[in-house]
Amino acid sequence: MYKIMIVDDAQFMRVRLSKLLTGHGYEVVEAENGEQAVQTYRSIKPDAVLMDVTMPEKDGLEALAEIRGYDNQAKVVMLTALGQESMVLQAVQAGAKDYVVKPFDPDRVLRALQKALG
Amino acid sequence: MNVQFLNPFIEAAFAVLDAEVGVTAKRGQLSLQRSAATASEVTVLISMVGQVKGVVLYGLSEATALQIVAKILGQSFAEFDDLAQSGISEMGNVITGQAGQRLAEAGFESNISPPTMIVGKGTLISTLDFERLQVPLETELGTIQIHLALRESINGTVSHPLPIGGA
Repeated sequence: MYKIMIVDDAQFMRVRLSKLLTGHGYEVVEAENGEQAVQTYRSIKPDAVLMDVTMPEKDGLEALAEIRGYDNQAKVVMLTALGQESMVLQAVQAGAKDYVVKPFDPDRVLRALQKALG
Repeated sequence: MNVQFLNPFIEAAFAVLDAEVGVTAKRGQLSLQRSAATASEVTVLISMVGQVKGVVLYGLSEATALQIVAKILGQSFAEFDDLAQSGISEMGNVITGQAGQRLAEAGFESNISPPTMIVGKGTLISTLDFERLQVPLETELGTIQIHLALRESINGTVSHPLPIGGA
């Protein structure tokens, strides 16, 4: 069973994504901000990461850089609100595998994860 | 208040309510207000800065808010708890983000603040010298009041301009 780390400062988004992924057979761990994401990645080593771009205490771009610095094979999919694409393009250039725009289509999230997991 | 700022919010709200909640909204009677807004039971406040600046409010009853988050998550809510508040804030965030994208396509680039949640009816929210356009969106789950106190700012700049046409 693949282990996925969901990183979003909005509790509602974490719960919603967690429901979606556990319903499709994934194991889920959650982090509330970029700092927690980096620490959790190091201790849990998830198979893939689904991470929001805009967060307090280290945003998604900074956390991505640190996670990729620790593990250059890290499979990270970014989550973003419409209108933040310029930041997401930076994330893709920094090694993110894909991105999903909110409000997200559940199938799009699952496809992005499957693609990232290879 | 530039009325051309209204449609991006209406279109974004319709799109988000349809995609996320599965409800169709209908626009009610538009009004221009100069007095302070009175908070609904649940109010989400988001600021915009850039070539459009000001404040956007989304007001709704607690019952409507609970039905909306219940629909999105597929579970019932007995109270307007942290999770429900997070859900309604996120909805306001996504609507404003989409509206911001539409405004950028019309030549008005802006950034939005994280949402602030005001719980409790009756608080006066003054937008000071910004006129406020108020429009109710009627849905089967109840009414969502959108308040726009926005102004064009020719010299406004944004740190991350919204790309026209998306990625």
